[in-house]
Amino acid sequence: MPTIDMEELIEELMQCRRCGICRNAVYDDMGFDGVCPIWRNSTGFEPDFMRGKIIIALALLSGELEKTAENVKALFQCTLCGNCTEICAASFDPKEAMETVRYVLNDAPNPVRDTLAKRVIDTNTPYEEGQEIKQNWLNELDFEVPNQSDVVYFVGCTAATKLHQIPIATAKILQAANVEFAVMENEPCCGSVLLRTGRADEAEENALTVAESIKSTGAKRVVVSCAGCLKTLRKDYAEKFGIEMPEIVHIVEFAQKLIESGDLNLKPLENSTKVTYHDPCHMGRELNVYDAPRSILESIPNLELVEMHPNRAQALCCGAGGGLRSYDSELAKKIAAERVRHAETLDVSALTSACPFCELNFVSGSKKEESEIEVLDIVELLSRCL
Amino acid sequence: MDPQALDQLREIVGDEYISTRKDVLLSYSSSASTGYDSQMPAAVVRPASTQEVSEIVKVANKFKIPVIPRSGGSSLQGEVIPSPESLVIDLLRLEEIKLYKDLRSVTVGAGVTFGALDKFLKVHDLWVPVSPESALVCTVAGNVAVNGAGPGSSRYGCVGELVLGLEVVLPDGRVINTGSEANPHAPGPFLRYAFGPDLTGLFIGSLGSLGIITKVSIKTFRRMHHFYYDTYGFPDMPSVERFLIELKQNEVHPLFASIYEGRILQFFMDMLGEEYGIPKHQWPPLTVSMTLGRMRDDLLQSDIRMVKKICEEIDGHVIGISELPRGEWEDRMRVFVRSSYVHGWHWRILYHHQTPANWHKSVDAIWEIMDKHGLLGHTAGFLSGHSSYNFYPHLYFFPDDPEEEQKVRAAHKELSRLLLKSGAVPFKLSQYWTDGLAEMKPYLELIRIIKDRLDPNGIMHPEVLPIPEE
Repeated sequence: MPTIDMEELIEELMQCRRCGICRNAVYDDMGFDGVCPIWRNSTGFEPDFMRGKIIIALALLSGELEKTAENVKALFQCTLCGNCTEICAASFDPKEAMETVRYVLNDAPNPVRDTLAKRVIDTNTPYEEGQEIKQNWLNELDFEVPNQSDVVYFVGCTAATKLHQIPIATAKILQAANVEFAVMENEPCCGSVLLRTGRADEAEENALTVAESIKSTGAKRVVVSCAGCLKTLRKDYAEKFGIEMPEIVHIVEFAQKLIESGDLNLKPLENSTKVTYHDPCHMGRELNVYDAPRSILESIPNLELVEMHPNRAQALCCGAGGGLRSYDSELAKKIAAERVRHAETLDVSALTSACPFCELNFVSGSKKEESEIEVLDIVELLSRCL
Repeated sequence: MDPQALDQLREIVGDEYISTRKDVLLSYSSSASTGYDSQMPAAVVRPASTQEVSEIVKVANKFKIPVIPRSGGSSLQGEVIPSPESLVIDLLRLEEIKLYKDLRSVTVGAGVTFGALDKFLKVHDLWVPVSPESALVCTVAGNVAVNGAGPGSSRYGCVGELVLGLEVVLPDGRVINTGSEANPHAPGPFLRYAFGPDLTGLFIGSLGSLGIITKVSIKTFRRMHHFYYDTYGFPDMPSVERFLIELKQNEVHPLFASIYEGRILQFFMDMLGEEYGIPKHQWPPLTVSMTLGRMRDDLLQSDIRMVKKICEEIDGHVIGISELPRGEWEDRMRVFVRSSYVHGWHWRILYHHQTPANWHKSVDAIWEIMDKHGLLGHTAGFLSGHSSYNFYPHLYFFPDDPEEEQKVRAAHKELSRLLLKSGAVPFKLSQYWTDGLAEMKPYLELIRIIKDRLDPNGIMHPEVLPIPEE
């Protein structure tokens, strides 16, 4: 992590003129129907959206506020979804600034952050289930996957630990398209959670290890199925740590090309299905990947895609990001439940996404809402058409 | 704050919606008014209904706690900065909207922003045609409380002129409705001037010092779909002022019309010219940027012809660049937020109205002050109604330069005196206008009498109005 210039950081934060547009702007002409998912789903005091968070950050940095667990709560009750950045007129990126503030204040008390960091450092996964179960999904495949290839599928901790259907579907898609691919024997965590929660030094150390491990597979292209891994490996490694990586692609980007080239042929779904798609923040706002997932869904015969509002760059977050699902899981689930309610208004049978972290949270949100909507990753739908 | 008062407030709003946490209080200590000192309140509550607001105010009255009503927190002239030991009442949970289609009106709770209302009305092909340039953050009630104006005002006047009635929680906690809704049997808001004195007007621009506006009933109109954007050049101040007067005299009412001096226009171009796609042009000494809007195209065409004729009769010319007014109009809900941000400074602002014929007096005053104090700033504005022009001069400072900030404060005060002498009038009263109000003693005394009678304990936003001592 580059050294933080405190003066510059404070100047950045002072760019906020406290207009409050980051709270809940409804701007129909630009597609905004609310901005901050935290504010909408919490008690809605000022610290629940970016304007208040910045005031608090400045006070913590200046020492006006003491670094207590209570006083730093506003900094961690944020999914870093970037919708505030999308609408903010000031010449700074509030979401990036908040991530930097978390780093500068990483000695402030936050046991949840510390536990996650310790797990990633000690066991290569933020989940308590541990590293050893991350390859269990391979047992459910009826074909062997090697450890070395030009194409490496980087599964990601969430899918590998919690949502086996995603790596299984991804593997089947790659095999159906005759793509030779490998899976790492001891796949490390990409370190996204370390970066988001302010443990950037550990994230850098971790990133060097990850880069080395990937290099040792001989990969020229790394396929991921997690939006968080995508952003971290493609963008953060280069921009924050100066690490050169092989090509990093999300499976939806890869599959779109395979479909277009005719290497992946899709059979119609058994029943006519109407679905909607949720843009993961790390894929959409961060990397502008909006069309590939839609293109895939539209290419599935017997499937109708309808859009949620807001969507694309103005989409509301699933609620899981920025460490919130661990820090305040109840709030994270409430945010997911709101998005599920949005989907329900469209009379769809499934809410799809392209991120296991979104899916995991939507499943929780769906339970909370007692919704009958199926929560699916795009790859799961695709694999039904092979 | 008295622990008994806190307990009683907790009972009203529930544990979740009251806070005395230091971080929370700090975040309510300021607003978008960057040039004002912050002040932490003692507590913040977020009531869900008028009934809760009423009960909260009763508790505040009993314990003599100053009360600061707040909604969007986007005001720029210190309107929601708390008093010491005060209770902030955050009104954003009052988000009801009720449309009275046949009455051509809508009632909104104090938490409804112009942006949210616009989306709601759009479905019905309706709109409230005036909105402040902070419309995505600012609530209708908040804007009524400051007597604001914005795009649309050139035709329809300040927002207050659209108001049909209010629901207000008085300083003793009683709830009143003004306008036709004062009659509980009325079908809804359809007439402001009902039951004698205009009590609605008493609360417009009162900044929450006489009561808390919990609902606003406001006129709706069929949404316009026919617009025309153009720019008009003039050689000097008298001709540009005459242009605006002649438009009104000839019943041409643009939706939005702004005069730009050459140097100010260049400043604006630096900020947003490229984004709005405004072509390079040798702009004349004075430019009017204008949006015409009408319900029917034939009416619009007639206006276009009339504007051209008037312009040319008084030494002006049609420039033909539409991107500037189009950008202003289409981006109207956030243009202020956007243009203010581009330059990167903090500022003090001094909203006021002039007559179009006195436009040059405000401009002269502002340049005189900036030159005298060696400050950066600018002024812009727009035609704001029957025969008024709204100005919003900015004086800039860097937030990390306290000396410069003090200079801006002194200049701001001096400017207010100069402006009053020039015949300008502010939207609302404020401490920084006080020095220039000596000749208005009877007026201010009447306000004091009203304030004292309504609020004998002086709890309602006690510092926001410059009320003279008895």
